Amino acid sequence: MAGRHIIFLAAVYAFLAPIPLWLGEYFIHVVNVSLYYVIMAASWNLIAGYTGQFSLAHHAFAAMGGYTSALLVIHSGLPILLGIPVGGLLAGAVGFFLGTLCLKMRAIYLGLATWAFAESFRITLSMGYRLTRGDLGLSTPTLLATGQALHYYYIFLLLAVVGLYSMYRIVSSRIGYYMRAIRDDEEAALSMGVDTVKWKRFVFVVSSFWAGIAGAFHGHYIGLLSPVAVDFNEMAILIIMVITGGLRTFAGPIIGAVFIELLSEFLREYGQIRMVLFAFMVIVLMRVNRDGMVGLGRRIWPALKAYVKR
Amino acid sequence: MDSLLLSQYLIAGIVIGIIYALMAIGITFIYSIMKMINWSMGEFYMMGSYLQYFLVVYFLGAHLWFVGIPLSMAVVFGVGMIIQRYLLRPMFVGEMERKDEYATVITVALMVFFRNLAVVLAGPNQFAPPDYAGPTHIGPLPVSGNRFVALIGTLVILGLFYLIVKKTWVGKALRGSAQNRVGIQTAGVNVLRVDQIAFGIGVSLAAAAGALLAPIFLVWPENGAVATMKGFEIIVIGGLGSIPGSLVAGLLLGVIESLGSVLISPSFKDVYGFILVLAILTIRPTGLFGERQRVA
Repeated sequence: MAGRHIIFLAAVYAFLAPIPLWLGEYFIHVVNVSLYYVIMAASWNLIAGYTGQFSLAHHAFAAMGGYTSALLVIHSGLPILLGIPVGGLLAGAVGFFLGTLCLKMRAIYLGLATWAFAESFRITLSMGYRLTRGDLGLSTPTLLATGQALHYYYIFLLLAVVGLYSMYRIVSSRIGYYMRAIRDDEEAALSMGVDTVKWKRFVFVVSSFWAGIAGAFHGHYIGLLSPVAVDFNEMAILIIMVITGGLRTFAGPIIGAVFIELLSEFLREYGQIRMVLFAFMVIVLMRVNRDGMVGLGRRIWPALKAYVKR
Repeated sequence: MDSLLLSQYLIAGIVIGIIYALMAIGITFIYSIMKMINWSMGEFYMMGSYLQYFLVVYFLGAHLWFVGIPLSMAVVFGVGMIIQRYLLRPMFVGEMERKDEYATVITVALMVFFRNLAVVLAGPNQFAPPDYAGPTHIGPLPVSGNRFVALIGTLVILGLFYLIVKKTWVGKALRGSAQNRVGIQTAGVNVLRVDQIAFGIGVSLAAAAGALLAPIFLVWPENGAVATMKGFEIIVIGGLGSIPGSLVAGLLLGVIESLGSVLISPSFKDVYGFILVLAILTIRPTGLFGERQRVA
């Protein structure tokens, strides 16, 4: 059983591994960043899309993982490969507390509480400048001695494949049904014997953990952390990615993150008009087709098939 | 520390608190009728400050600044009505699942949209409109003229807001829809129109704050972020859906920030409010004056 999954993952990895051979150094970097956003978007979709807890603090967990790992490596000389999991675990633990705080809250209060949490984290980061160097930014040791994006590509790809696979296992298991039951009707789920408290906390922990891991890897890749990463704009970009791809679908955040990141790279010369365009796209999608690109594909594909068959 | 200096800080806190409260009242007013949080409130504040700047600098001249404020409020009122009509009204027409999610995504997208549109149209630079008034005195205490004008302007706008909500027919319809959306329809009120007016009034309060504070906090694409932050802090402290709560919490926040920065340390000014917010959220999640149920 387990052997088959490992073979499948290895096949996916091997299939995606040669992609950078056709790309330039800079473009591989863009792909790496989009893989980071894939993990972020997918883990946010776990909590917002599948469990219906519209958290607005996901970017804060990434920064938390990044700062924890970087500070541990700098001050206590921990090896980076140990610092990153510690960052992820701390983000998961804080996710547990935030999840507990928000247990009884519904939509609007949950949004406000998670937002307040993220903002206070940002302010703490810039205020505690003795430790975090505040708005100056903390330069972090990089994971590899070489600065080549190609080497990092293989690390990020491994991370994305493993992360997405573990999230897929959760979503397609019994726990995935619990999550969707909580999203659709919490009281009904509770009355059917779903331990809503336990599974809500569980999802908060898992999604924060992956955000922390992704943030820590990203920090050790870019080599710089700053409180700007906890700006609400960053959360807005995550929302744009997930909505564009398709909230509540597994493939949606992956497609959306890659699509938005690559598109914003292609349109870089047009400056801020990109963001105006993306925001407009999200508004149109919300009005016309709330399932994003995946939903659009699901609708067009049968029509196309019927047309070809005729 | 002598009492004169302390009371000067107290006055500064009260002034800034009342202006913050204007923003919070806008948020809570929209919430109490449409049951949604407008995350793009700061962008309407930004819009108000830009309109005020361009009106004062290019059309009216520095001495006619007080004409600019109602004009920019009116424009933002119109923009808000249009946005509500085409983007937010669909929440209430027909069956829509997950209204909160829809409203959050739409308003966050609007935030990104307007922020970057401002950069595209007017550039990322800061603009400084001319001063509204020179330094004056409240009793023996010196106070900046701009802040004094902002205080008086806010009080006038709050007074007008009170009159509209309490004394007019529209105000009665607004209060009715806040209490019971179905009941007000049986009384022959078009609740969709009421929503539209409520959204317009809410965002024009934000625009008023933006226009009044333009010479103090300047005009640039992300200048609404701080005001939104304070506004949300106030509604969490005062309780969502309560207008008196917003006023009291606004004053409280202004005074705490002002006294905290003089008594403890000015660099942690933004942290005091959040400590209060997190304390309120854990001890009394509905805020000081909030509704009993936190199920929304």
